Amino acid sequence: MDLPRKATARFHLPRRTLRLQLTLLYGGVVVVLLVAVLGIWGLLYGTSSKAAPGSPASAVAKAQAQAAGNGHHVDILFALVLAVAVVLALGLGWLIAGRLLRALRKITSTARAISASNLHERLNIEGPDDELKELGGTLDDLFARLEASFESQRRFVANASHELRTPLTAERSLLQVALADPDADVEAWRATGEELLALGGLQERLIDALLTLARSERGIEQWHDFDLATVAEKAVLVRRLEADRRGIRVETTFAAAPGAGDPGLVESLIANLVDNAIRHNVDNGQVDIATATRAGSAVLRVVNTGPVVPPEDIERLFEPFRKAGADRTRSNDGNGLGLSIVRAVADAHGATIVVEPRSGGGLRLEVAFPVSSRGKSQAPVPALSCSRPA
Amino acid sequence: MRVLVVEDFEVLARTIGTGLRREGMAVDVVLDGLDALEHLAVTRYDVVVLDRDLPGVSGDEVCRRLAAEHSETRILMLTAAGAVEERVDGLGLGADDYLPKPFDFAELVARIRALARRSTPPLAPTLAGADLSLDPARRTASRAGRRLDLSPKEFGVLECLLAADGRVVSSEELLERVWDEAADPFTTAVKTTIRRLRAKLGEPPVIETVREGGYRIGGA
Repeated sequence: MDLPRKATARFHLPRRTLRLQLTLLYGGVVVVLLVAVLGIWGLLYGTSSKAAPGSPASAVAKAQAQAAGNGHHVDILFALVLAVAVVLALGLGWLIAGRLLRALRKITSTARAISASNLHERLNIEGPDDELKELGGTLDDLFARLEASFESQRRFVANASHELRTPLTAERSLLQVALADPDADVEAWRATGEELLALGGLQERLIDALLTLARSERGIEQWHDFDLATVAEKAVLVRRLEADRRGIRVETTFAAAPGAGDPGLVESLIANLVDNAIRHNVDNGQVDIATATRAGSAVLRVVNTGPVVPPEDIERLFEPFRKAGADRTRSNDGNGLGLSIVRAVADAHGATIVVEPRSGGGLRLEVAFPVSSRGKSQAPVPALSCSRPA
Repeated sequence: MRVLVVEDFEVLARTIGTGLRREGMAVDVVLDGLDALEHLAVTRYDVVVLDRDLPGVSGDEVCRRLAAEHSETRILMLTAAGAVEERVDGLGLGADDYLPKPFDFAELVARIRALARRSTPPLAPTLAGADLSLDPARRTASRAGRRLDLSPKEFGVLECLLAADGRVVSSEELLERVWDEAADPFTTAVKTTIRRLRAKLGEPPVIETVREGGYRIGGA
């Protein structure tokens, strides 16, 4: 149904297409030039026919009649040459424009055909290294970026779907199996209740993490001043208990480190880093957390002992729902979003993250918030958000 | 019936195990793909319940290897994918059936039973032999119309013997099919269960002991 309509639309060229415009322009220029040349020639011819002013009247009249006869001839010749030139110019213009625009038409039709389902297709414009080829290449790059982005989005949705549905399935199965047990006593029901509560908590944390991720990816709406040291202190305080429970020592060195952004997001960045450092640690391990101002930027450093992380795995740690190798067991209460949140929050603040494996296992991670944050300078009313009490 | 549950979400894996055991199945539970492959190498399972998203070796990879090496084992894939194409993907890899999460436990049980029946040769929904009849789905067994009150293990042994259709079934095979990996291979559990089962079945004796071989019902 759709196809013939498209075909006829392309056939009719009802609009002022670029091809038509180029043709008319080309033809017009040729005609104007031709008229100018012929006009000059005619002018020269006309001056020569008006020569000999001192001749007798009869001779003048005769000459004038001859000139008029001649002029008539010349006019017809002019018109003929002009007509042929116009037709030729328009025809050639049409062909040349068509040829030049062929690549453009290919770009249009391919770009029109590419959608989310066939983003792997490319224009692959052949031919000379001209502007159109450059355009094709630029679009191909765009498609490649879109494809990568779509693919990561698709993977994220599939993973999120799995992570959200699995605890739901466990809840339902727990209840159905418990209900089907004819001998279930209070003790059994109590155990079921406790497991359901734990599953509820897990889902709550996952949803919170997803929302934080979404919020940080949206960017920062209101910029506030904060001291990294204060925010870090707050985030670390509530995590000491968990660290003690796991027998991990937490050492802190908080020096004032003023920065600007969304303190809530920054707190969740620090919280996720510290959680991660505590969780992926070894027995009697240690976590060092420090804040400082270095070259004007607020820097947070988290160093933890832990299992050895191969350098090639580090980039993967920041992908959502990716957990390093054998560490990826569910008994471990991480939801696989921690470092994704860290990266998203850092990106929103224009902060840089430097990660390297610590010698002897574990990670050494540094987040540097820029001196005059790029986002801050773009913020609509930074002065207002700074002067307003937090 | 011997079932392997491969699911990385520990609570879910454990719950499925508990529920299926209560249905009289012999169930082993593993939490990752590598462990699953190790189990599959040593034990013949009737049905494998396989989660698609597994740490280590992925569910897809386990499925592919399983379909290639143990064609008699039926695979039920659990998937959280919402899109139909992604679900159908699993079937292309050799899974016999799939169940999207979240599922109803009763449906999981019914599908596992349906898959177990698709062994070769296909088994009827209810098994019969001599004057016995047994309905695995309803968990009922009767002899000459008299309802038998059997324990899960007794039921499993009787199911195994009837499914063998006159063939001799060894004690080892009974141990593998009806008990899970927690059973001690040197146990006298099979002997004890057969003795109790015989007592419940009553006279005339229907389970025959084959010397050096095992047990059979309705053989020549």
